[in-house]
Amino acid sequence: MFYQKTIEQIKTDTRPSSAGAKAFYNNPKYRGWIYQSLLLIFLIAFFYSIISNTLSNMAAQGIKSGFGFMTTSAGFDVLMSLIPFETTDSYTKVFIIGILNTILVSIIGVICSTMLGFIFGIAYFSRNWLIKKISIIYVETFRNIPVILQVLFWYTAVLTTLPSTRDSLSIGEAFFLNIRGLYIPRLIDEPKSFVVYIAIVIAIVAIFFLRRWARKRQDLTGEQFPLIWSSLGILLGLPLLALFIAGVPFHFEYPELKGFNFQGGINVIPELMALAIAMSIYTGAFIAEAVRAGIQSVPHGQTEAARSIGLKERKIMSLIIVPQAMRVITPMLNSEYQSLVKNTTIATAIGYPELFTVFAGSALNQVGQAIEMMFMSLAIYFALNMMISFIMNQFNKRVAITTR
Amino acid sequence: MPIKEFKPLPAQPAPVSTTGPIAWLKNNLFSSPFNIVATLLILSGLFLILPGLIDWLFISANWTGTTQDACVDDGACWVFIRAWSQQIFYGSYPSGELWRVNLCLFLLAVVIYLSFILPINLRNKVAIPAFLALPFVCLLFLDGRYLGLEYVNTDYWGGFSLNILLAAASIIIAFPFGFLWALGRRSNLPFAQSVSVICIEFFRGTPVLALFFMGSVMLPLFFPEGVTVDKLLRVWIILILFMSAYMAEVFRSGFQAIPNGQYEAADSIGLGYWQKTFFIIFPQVIKVSMPNILATFIMVFKNTVFLLVIAVPEILQVILGALTNSKWLGGHATEGFLFVALVFWACCYSMSMLSTSIEKKLDTSHKH
Amino acid sequence: MKKLSSIIAGGLAIGLTISAQAGTLEDVKKRGTLSCGVSTGLAGFSQKDEKGVWSGLDVDVCRSVAAAVLGDASKVQYKPLTAKERFTALQSGEIDILSRNTTWTHTRDTSLGLNFAGVIYYDGTGFMVSKKLGVKSATELDGANACIQAGTSTELAIADYFRENKMNYKAVTFDTSDQTRTGFESGRCDFLVSDQSQLYALRIGLKDPSAAVVLPEVISKEPLGPVVRQNDDVWFNIVKWVVNASIEGEFQNVTSANAKDLRKNGNPGQKRLLGSEGDLGEKLGLSADWAYQAITQVGNYSESFERNVGQDSPLKISRGLNAQWNKGGILYSPAMR
Repeated sequence: MFYQKTIEQIKTDTRPSSAGAKAFYNNPKYRGWIYQSLLLIFLIAFFYSIISNTLSNMAAQGIKSGFGFMTTSAGFDVLMSLIPFETTDSYTKVFIIGILNTILVSIIGVICSTMLGFIFGIAYFSRNWLIKKISIIYVETFRNIPVILQVLFWYTAVLTTLPSTRDSLSIGEAFFLNIRGLYIPRLIDEPKSFVVYIAIVIAIVAIFFLRRWARKRQDLTGEQFPLIWSSLGILLGLPLLALFIAGVPFHFEYPELKGFNFQGGINVIPELMALAIAMSIYTGAFIAEAVRAGIQSVPHGQTEAARSIGLKERKIMSLIIVPQAMRVITPMLNSEYQSLVKNTTIATAIGYPELFTVFAGSALNQVGQAIEMMFMSLAIYFALNMMISFIMNQFNKRVAITTR
Repeated sequence: MPIKEFKPLPAQPAPVSTTGPIAWLKNNLFSSPFNIVATLLILSGLFLILPGLIDWLFISANWTGTTQDACVDDGACWVFIRAWSQQIFYGSYPSGELWRVNLCLFLLAVVIYLSFILPINLRNKVAIPAFLALPFVCLLFLDGRYLGLEYVNTDYWGGFSLNILLAAASIIIAFPFGFLWALGRRSNLPFAQSVSVICIEFFRGTPVLALFFMGSVMLPLFFPEGVTVDKLLRVWIILILFMSAYMAEVFRSGFQAIPNGQYEAADSIGLGYWQKTFFIIFPQVIKVSMPNILATFIMVFKNTVFLLVIAVPEILQVILGALTNSKWLGGHATEGFLFVALVFWACCYSMSMLSTSIEKKLDTSHKH
Repeated sequence: MKKLSSIIAGGLAIGLTISAQAGTLEDVKKRGTLSCGVSTGLAGFSQKDEKGVWSGLDVDVCRSVAAAVLGDASKVQYKPLTAKERFTALQSGEIDILSRNTTWTHTRDTSLGLNFAGVIYYDGTGFMVSKKLGVKSATELDGANACIQAGTSTELAIADYFRENKMNYKAVTFDTSDQTRTGFESGRCDFLVSDQSQLYALRIGLKDPSAAVVLPEVISKEPLGPVVRQNDDVWFNIVKWVVNASIEGEFQNVTSANAKDLRKNGNPGQKRLLGSEGDLGEKLGLSADWAYQAITQVGNYSESFERNVGQDSPLKISRGLNAQWNKGGILYSPAMR
């Protein structure tokens, strides 16, 4: 009724004024240009006023600008870095450390959350009542609590359950677990170690060709090749063989309790553990939901058809259902991974030294050049997210329906 | 010849092995070796954790009192939450004026309810203006200056009601912006399109923590000298822009769900671009996007907690402040965080239930 | 539609303030309230109670200024600020005075367009260790883990100290001081570094306060004081002399209880301070009873100190450096004449 009235209006509006319809401002093309130039003028005025205001404010308040600070010495310590760091090193190095730590926790988070998400997403379809309920409880609990609280919770949980340095849990005096984190022996190369690395490369190449061969054989004969087990065998077997041929060209640096702390070895700090756990569980809940929706989007007929040709239940999941569900799941995974990377910024609540904590936090507090440092950090998050987007789009192309 | 009447035998009761609790247990918990192991593992885990947890939460918890000294038992100190409850829900808003906050929350509920019960021809005419006016009406009430009420500065607003109102006010204003950006992204005008894409991708790609930080430290530099913009207003602007980007993507997928025939039909009866968009496409987009809109709202609602990094007195900031009060230095962080988690969980869970039910309703209307 | 747009316009106007830049004193008088930037929560210095009432040593500075300028200590608008945004808030005019345990440093005083109006607490970076460790001095802490609050000058002070003594440490940084305590208590780090004033507050929060000791070393100077914008000397003088008045009040034995009496019957020094003789208030652009109002409503330095951080508070910090110069401390107000 309402619509009809407007349509009537339009008819009466447009009918008599055929001359007006030809006027240039009624031409959609010109009109589009007018809109766009108005937008352009608005934007220019907007940015001009912002930039001029900012410059005059900065001048009035005596805020420095430029990137000179990047070469000055930071003067504070960073808890964890993947590259050697001294308090006298420059802010550039702090920046790099922040990026590396962000990438590290993001990669761990992406891997673990995907595993958790798929496990719980598939568990929703379990015939075990308890497992199904736990899957629902998991998703509904962790999806609906702000992630910052979860990070704080896991950090407290990690800190209160781990023993003190002197009562460390240890496995064979090589692995230690205490409140300062997990200490694992560090592998140290000896001259002949390159043999083993070459073996690893050969193994990877061999697996690649094996896969191609196996797929071709399956296409031709329908016979399946136990690809996963044989790949695993090659990946472990070849380097092991090389290891013994070269006479074990490695030795371990074991962590040792000296003074207050363990020295040597690799230290996985509890902040990293807590953040990785929280990120994996939080994002995992969203991924589980995506997996559930994906599986539900596959018509039930597919399962029945698979059963009727005698596939086992587990094979139905892995060969029929999940590949089809992936078309729905992949775009959602993309956005979940991106929000995981962005969510790592809350590490600032527990002091894991990722980019936002250490560069846009500690360093920014000392230097005070908010604009430069914020935009540098943002650029990194954009780059990381674009990388994820690119990889996931490639993956999406592979799982998408190929219409013939 | 009399026809022999067919008389079915009375139905046999189902075999005992398929009904009753034992059969249920067998089918649902112990159907295969794997399931038996899983069930036993889960049950033993529950038995390990639950008794201690229940004891700490309820049995040996401290419930009554007004000061920290009332917490004598080993369990949780809920006295802490009780004593600070007004701060937690309303911030420092004057006790005598709390009705204004409650009124705003009530108005919000009314407008949401209205949009569900109004007949379809009134819905767009009444509910949309009501929604758009709501944040500003609330602003006038909470501030009070222009209504002849006692003036309450934004610094006194706070607590959980701030989380709710801020999230609601942001998503409401983000509606038109998000719609505009989504239109821009779909339009054929190259410049408008690229501006929309940049806006959307910038606000979606930036961590919300960084956005809030920009709102508190960088935004004041953008205004001319001598003009100060209230912190809450700056936060609001940031939240609106952030939400608009997400809403734009929600609307974009909504647009994609509208069959092409709708556009063509609208074109064929001679509707212009804006008429087509507002009278034909917009109502449908809103309808199909409803579950996603709710999901986005849940997201921004949870994100309001991050405001604590710029000292906006939202619920978690109140808890953190309370923890540093010299009369409450006993370390009640666990109770505080648990309480906040519970409050958020209750709200978000009920909203996601609502979203699921809407989704189901929509689903039936599209099935053939 | 018109109604809607007028509502929108009214709503937006609420958030915008255009200050005339006439001078902070006029702005404050016109507004009728003092806008004061404080910490989001720092035991004894600025804290909010269950009723939303602010108290603390930093808060008392704002209350004194409000009492002196507006005649009412309760007319303060508190704006909780994080460490990162505090200077921006002052520079942009959002607050009139920043009283947020801010350390007076050369850089801040000279390059941020700010002025420090005095010192209300002489603090220093100190260490707290667990008694179990048996550490007697900070020099025995080589290789230990330190719990630090992020974004503070402590982060730099400790780096300097350990480098100077050729020792190593690992910094475990936390966002809030409450978390540094949790970290210390759980054993994540061996010692906790913080301003000494906060060490006492943190120590009380421990499950067993007697299990931790504060080491004697103080490794940096941290004079804390209120900050105002540069180029507004009238306002700068007011804040500076309100701080001095409360110190001078203690020195002259003027308290909130006896000020009324001393105003009539005190010695000349007391009378000058309380405004019944001389024209100290007028010279500041305030009424004659400026210091009288501040002292009766907020108290002198000693009262404020004992109430917020001293013996009458849970913190029980001793006066130490913050005693009057004739009692072993370094508090010294310039002459009130």
